[in-house]
Amino acid sequence: MKIEKILFPTKFREFAFEALESLLVLKDAGLRDVVLHNVIPRDEVGFVPYGGYLKDEEERLREEARIRFQEWQQALSAHGIGSKIVIEVGDPVPNILALAEKEKIDLIVVGKKKKTGPELSFVGSHTLQLMTRSTVPILVSKHMVEYEFSGEMVTRLNDTVFQRPLLATDWSEPSTRALELLSSLKNVVEAVSVCHVIGVKIAKNLDKSGLHLLEKESRERLARYCERLTAAGIPAEPHLGAGRSVLEIIRIARETHATMIMMGTTGKDRLHEFFLGSNSHRVAEASELPTLLVP
Amino acid sequence: MGVSLPLYSVLPFAGMLLSIAFFPLLAPKFWHHHFGKVSAFWAVVLVIPLVLKYQGGAVYEILHIVLADYVPFIILLGSLYTVSGGILLKGTLRGTPALNTGILAIGTILASWMGTTGAAMLLIRPLLRANAHRKNRTFMVIFFIFLVANVGGSLTPLGDPPLFLGFLRGVPFFWTFHLLPHMLVAAGILLTLYYLLDRHYYRREGITAAPDDGAQEPIRIEGAYNFIFLAGIVGAVLMSGMAKWGDISIAGIHRGVQDVVRDGLLVLMAGLSMAVTPRPLREANAFTWFPIQEVAILFIGIFLTMIPCLKILQAGSQGELAFLIAAVREPLHYFWITGMLSAFLDNAPTYLTFLSTAMGGFYPGVAESEAVMLLIKENPLYLLAISAGSVFFGAFTYIGNAPNFMVRSIAEEAGTPMPTFFGYLFKYSAPILGSVFVVISLLFFI
Repeated sequence: MKIEKILFPTKFREFAFEALESLLVLKDAGLRDVVLHNVIPRDEVGFVPYGGYLKDEEERLREEARIRFQEWQQALSAHGIGSKIVIEVGDPVPNILALAEKEKIDLIVVGKKKKTGPELSFVGSHTLQLMTRSTVPILVSKHMVEYEFSGEMVTRLNDTVFQRPLLATDWSEPSTRALELLSSLKNVVEAVSVCHVIGVKIAKNLDKSGLHLLEKESRERLARYCERLTAAGIPAEPHLGAGRSVLEIIRIARETHATMIMMGTTGKDRLHEFFLGSNSHRVAEASELPTLLVP
Repeated sequence: MGVSLPLYSVLPFAGMLLSIAFFPLLAPKFWHHHFGKVSAFWAVVLVIPLVLKYQGGAVYEILHIVLADYVPFIILLGSLYTVSGGILLKGTLRGTPALNTGILAIGTILASWMGTTGAAMLLIRPLLRANAHRKNRTFMVIFFIFLVANVGGSLTPLGDPPLFLGFLRGVPFFWTFHLLPHMLVAAGILLTLYYLLDRHYYRREGITAAPDDGAQEPIRIEGAYNFIFLAGIVGAVLMSGMAKWGDISIAGIHRGVQDVVRDGLLVLMAGLSMAVTPRPLREANAFTWFPIQEVAILFIGIFLTMIPCLKILQAGSQGELAFLIAAVREPLHYFWITGMLSAFLDNAPTYLTFLSTAMGGFYPGVAESEAVMLLIKENPLYLLAISAGSVFFGAFTYIGNAPNFMVRSIAEEAGTPMPTFFGYLFKYSAPILGSVFVVISLLFFI
C-alpha cells in the first residue's frame, strides 16, 4: 500500500490550495500524480425551470476552474509531481467515487475549514458520504480550523499533516491496512503514536482480572504495531486509553501533539450509519486534526 | 366571490404565467436563482388584497385550493417522480430508426401510467446513449418531447397534471380513456413521421452498421421492483375515485377520507421506493430533488394566483369574464384556445381555467362536482376538447409542460444541440404538431 496517485476534488474554497501544498511532502514517499477534480453541480447549470440548460454558465464555470487548476499545476510541476485536470458536470459524490475508481487513485483528499451544521461537525454531508462509500483511503485535510477548546475559540493551522500521525487501532483489518499505509510513509513521517482504546462497552462486561488480561493483551498488540513501524524505519510509541473511544482518541492525539489521526474504517450501511455512526467517522467529525481513514 | 371580483384581480395570475414564459427566455440565470422569489411575489400580490377584501371567504378559498388541489397535485407528481427515478434501463442499445421508434412508442404507452415526467426520465438517457454515435440527434429529442413528455400522457389522470386536476374535481379515472382515439391518431402520425425522418437521416449519415466498441452489455432493467410501487400509486388513485368513506375537516376544509388515504399511500410508495432503491442506482439515473422542488415552488404561486380567475369563470355570464365564455362556444374553440394557451402557459392551470369556463357557460352557479358530472353526461365533447387541447398542446413549446424543460436540459448536458425557444416553435412544433392538430380537429371536433 503506497500513495502514488492522489485525487484532489475541490470547490476552490478558502485554503484549498494551501491544503494541496501540504501534500507535496508525499513526493518523498512516492507521490507521482495528482488528479485535480472540480464537479460543477448539475443543479447549478441544469433544470432551469421551463428553460433548460445554462450552457454558457457551464462554459464559464469550466473556464474558471481550468484557469485556477493551471496555476496549481505549475506548483505541482515545480515539485516534480505530475497532474491532470478533470472538470465535469454532475453530482459530486458519485462523480468523485467513479473518478477514483477509473484513475486507480490511492488517496482522496477532501477539505473542511469550519465546523458546520447543528452538530458542529468538521465533516459535511458530501464528505460523510464519501467516507461511508469509498473503497479508497480518504484524508479530511482541515487545513485551517476553528474550534472550541476550554471555552475559547482556537484557530489551528494543519500544515504539517504527516509529521506526527496518531494511528488509532481497533485491531480490525482496515486498521492493519492503515498500519501498512503508514509504514510506506517512512521519508515523510517523523514519529508515530499508536493508540488503542479499551471501550466502555467491552470494559463494563469484564471483572477486574478480565480487564487486566485485556490490558496486557492490548499492550502486547500495541507493541507489535510499534515494532512493525520501527522495522519500517519510523519511530513509534504505544498509548493505551480507556473509556469512550472517540473522546479518548482525541485526548491522546492532543497529548501526543499529533498532527493527524489515522484510523481504519469499515463501510456501514445507511441505517447503521444513521443510528449508530462509526467511531472513525465521529473522530473525523469531532477532531480538529486532519483525519485519514483507511477502508 | 366570483360575481364581485374585478377583472384586474386576474393580473397576478397573468403575471405569474408570463414570468414563467419570459424569464427563462430573457434572463435565464436570474430566473434559475430567483424563481422562488418571483413566485412568492405574485402570490403575495394576490393574497394580501384578497384577504383584506374578502377576509374569511378568501382564507377559505386559499386553504381549499392548497389542501384540496395543490397538496394532492404535488404529492402525485412527487411520488411518480420518486418511484420512476428508481428504475434504471441499462445495457447496450444501438440507435437505429426501428429501435428509436420503438423507444418512443414504449415511452408513449408508459407515459399514461407513470406520468409523462416519469416516462421521460426513464427513457431519455437510454435514447441519448443509444444514439451517441449519430450525427443528427436533435429531432429525436424533439419527437421524444412530443410523444413521451406530452401526447402519451393523455389516457389517465396519472399521465399529465391537467388530467389529475380534472380527476380531483370529479372526472372519473377511466373517463380519460375516451381520448384513446385522439391519442392513437396523434401518436400514429408522429411515430410514422419520426420513423421516416430517422431513416432518412440514418441513410444520409452513411451508417451501415452499428459501431462495435466491444463493450456489449445486455439490456436489463434495474430497480424493477419500483413497478410494484407504481402499481401501488395507480391503485391508490383508482381507490380514491371509487371509494366514498365520508369527509373529514382539515383546517375547516372538508376532504374525502379516501383522498387523504390516497395521499398517504402515495407518500408511502415514494418512501418505500427511496428506502429500498440503492443510492448508486438513483445516481446512475442522475436523480435529484431539484426538478420536483422547482415544480412545488412555482405551482404554489400558480395555484394561489389563479383563484380569482377560476372564481370569475365559475360565475359564468355574471362574472367579469362573461365575454370569454360567450366567445368560446364550440368544442373546436375549446380545443384550440385551451391548446394555444397551454402551449405558452402551463397546461395544468389552463385546463382548470377552461373547465371552469365550460362549467360556467353550461351550468352557472351549479356546485363544481355536480357541474363536472353534468358536463360529462350532457356535453362530453367539450371536456374531451379541453383535455386533448391541454395535454397535446403542452408539446407545442418548451414551456407548455414541465417535463419538456427537463428533457431539453438532459439532452443539452449530454451534448445534443437543441433549438432555441423560437427555433423549436417555428421549425418543429408549429409545422409538425400544427398539422397533426388540424387532423385531430377535423376528425373529432367538427
